[in-house]
Amino acid sequence: MALIELRGITKTYHIGDMSVEVLRGVDLTVESGELLAIMGESGGGKSTLMNIIGFLDSPSGGGYQFEGQDAGHLDDNELAHIRNQKIGFIFQQFNLLPRLNALENVMLPLVYRGVPPRQREKVAKQMLKQVGMADRMAHRPPELSGGQQQRVAIARALSGSPSLILADEPTGALDSKVSQEILDIFLELNRENKITTVMVTHDPKVGKQCRRTVRMADGHLLEV
Amino acid sequence: MISFNEIVREALKSQAAAKQRTLLALIGIVIGIGSVIALVTVGEMVQLTSEQQFRQMGTNIITIQRGWGDSKEGGGNPDRPDQMITWTEAKGLAKKFPKLEAVAPYTSSWGQPLFADKSLDMPVLGVTRSFADLNKLTLAKGRFISDLDGYSFFGVLGAGAAAKLAKLGAGDPLGKTVFFKGRGFKIIGVLARAEEGGMRPFEINPGMMIPIHTSFLFKKERVINEIMARIAPNMDRRRLKSRLDQYFKMYQPDMSIQVRSAEQLINEMAKQSRLFTLLLGAIGSISLLVGGIGVMNVMLVAVSERRKEIGVRRALGAMQSDIRAQFLVESVILCLAGGLIGIALGVGAAYVLAKVNGWIFFVSGMGLALGVGVSSAIGVFFGYFPARQASRLNPILALRDE
Ligand SMILES: Nc1ncnc2c1ncn2[C@@H]1O[C@H](COP(=O)(O)OP(=O)(O)OP(=O)(O)O)[C@@H](O)[C@H]1O
Ligand SMILES: [Mg+2]
Repeated sequence: MALIELRGITKTYHIGDMSVEVLRGVDLTVESGELLAIMGESGGGKSTLMNIIGFLDSPSGGGYQFEGQDAGHLDDNELAHIRNQKIGFIFQQFNLLPRLNALENVMLPLVYRGVPPRQREKVAKQMLKQVGMADRMAHRPPELSGGQQQRVAIARALSGSPSLILADEPTGALDSKVSQEILDIFLELNRENKITTVMVTHDPKVGKQCRRTVRMADGHLLEV
Repeated sequence: MISFNEIVREALKSQAAAKQRTLLALIGIVIGIGSVIALVTVGEMVQLTSEQQFRQMGTNIITIQRGWGDSKEGGGNPDRPDQMITWTEAKGLAKKFPKLEAVAPYTSSWGQPLFADKSLDMPVLGVTRSFADLNKLTLAKGRFISDLDGYSFFGVLGAGAAAKLAKLGAGDPLGKTVFFKGRGFKIIGVLARAEEGGMRPFEINPGMMIPIHTSFLFKKERVINEIMARIAPNMDRRRLKSRLDQYFKMYQPDMSIQVRSAEQLINEMAKQSRLFTLLLGAIGSISLLVGGIGVMNVMLVAVSERRKEIGVRRALGAMQSDIRAQFLVESVILCLAGGLIGIALGVGAAYVLAKVNGWIFFVSGMGLALGVGVSSAIGVFFGYFPARQASRLNPILALRDE
């Protein structure tokens, strides 16, 4: 059973009288344990697709099956629930909450899951250790470098033990040395822990290291 | 290009601006809650203080005057003896109404008594023995007027009058002579200061009390101003009033009498003070409204400043209700903080007012609960709209926010 099954996914934005067809029938199957890179030109609809896969947005048409379940027709609360239970998001701009320290940021998904504080903290500390941030737990994001912030963000995505990690240009804001360190974390998580990862990247070097790469062009996905 | 230093300075400035905004919003709440608390507390203190004045004398005191109808103003005209209660009527009262535990008719006149050739502006009361008992008067020195004093020229000074005399060099006034209407009165007693207010005649402290019969010597007729009486606790007041009416109508069929009871006055005062409290509370509410709008503004700004945060939380699985609750709690905390400061200031103001005016200082639990309740309610009421707005943000657009 595939983790993700997209069939003919379309997405059209309407701005006034204009309508922009960003996705024109995307087909994609992602098996559990895969590491997939999505590449493609800017404005091609990669982020739009990621949001649909991650239940932040709903498609205009087509079918989406997640873990064998039909994922259409979910209401706002159900979408929030799936995001919380099944998805770990990682963003280009890290998106840590600046007023919370690293530990508190990592605990956040568990807060919305209703996990009691002690257990929350235990899990979060473990995740921070896993990404090599055990000695920076009390630091707040502005006190951390970009690479460190992205490590914390990865720990946050992992803390809910999701079925799927969605990373939209996770190395886009980092220099090449740090990019490689972050990529290594993803590669290791995928290799050792079998964590299914879908990653958007502009960097061919990053794409090359993923086992499978697809390209977004003209609203369609093509295998490379 | 903007330098790093400037960016930092800008950030600090905008933070300071946010703090100022918060503070300004809080001032509205602080003033609003503060005034509501102060006003409610003052209202309650005034009520308690005046009730205490009555209670001290007992609530089973009534006064009887002859007058028109039931109006509170104007007993009979003192210059028209036919409109006053006569001594005969007063004397008969105790016999006819054995349930009146004590009856004290008294006369009152103003004069310029002389002491050591100096004029003293003071009231002179003609009283009986029971006057001291009914008014709970205590002596500082000497003795009070006795019913055996008959027509003798004795005087008992109120505490204020004694102080006046002392200023004129009387030293110990006991045994000294005060002249009134050409007659010398020997001071046989000095009263301790009596609490003012309640049913107690105001003339006691500044005045001189003489035997009631002696006071008749200076009047054309033997008429009195007022009868004070203590009634049995379980007495039916309405029946008493009609029986008293009947009794006095026997003597003066054209005039009715007024009976005032402490209980009735207390109830009237309570009603008035409740109205007062409500009115003042309403004024405070206006500043609360202004404060609430200020809080709403702060929350709306906070929501728009934290769109990104809202987007992140939504991506991590927060439901709309989670976001709404978060901003509602913030708004309530903000208002509660303002409310607590307001309560402290309001209670402080009430304390100062109580000290200055000699009221009994008292903060009711209800007032405090009201303050806390109202500020939370304002937090919820004025926080709801911003919180709802936050919860309804599109997560994707919110995440894109810079
Ligand atoms: N909410 C929206 N309303 C209207 N148009 C939108 C909206 N979101 C995205 N678009 C449009 O959809 C197109 C695809 O955007 P998307 O962000 O998915 O591109 P992308 O491939 O991620 O680009 P990049 O590589 O620059 O991140 C763009 O043309 C964009 O303007
Ligand atoms: Mg994008």
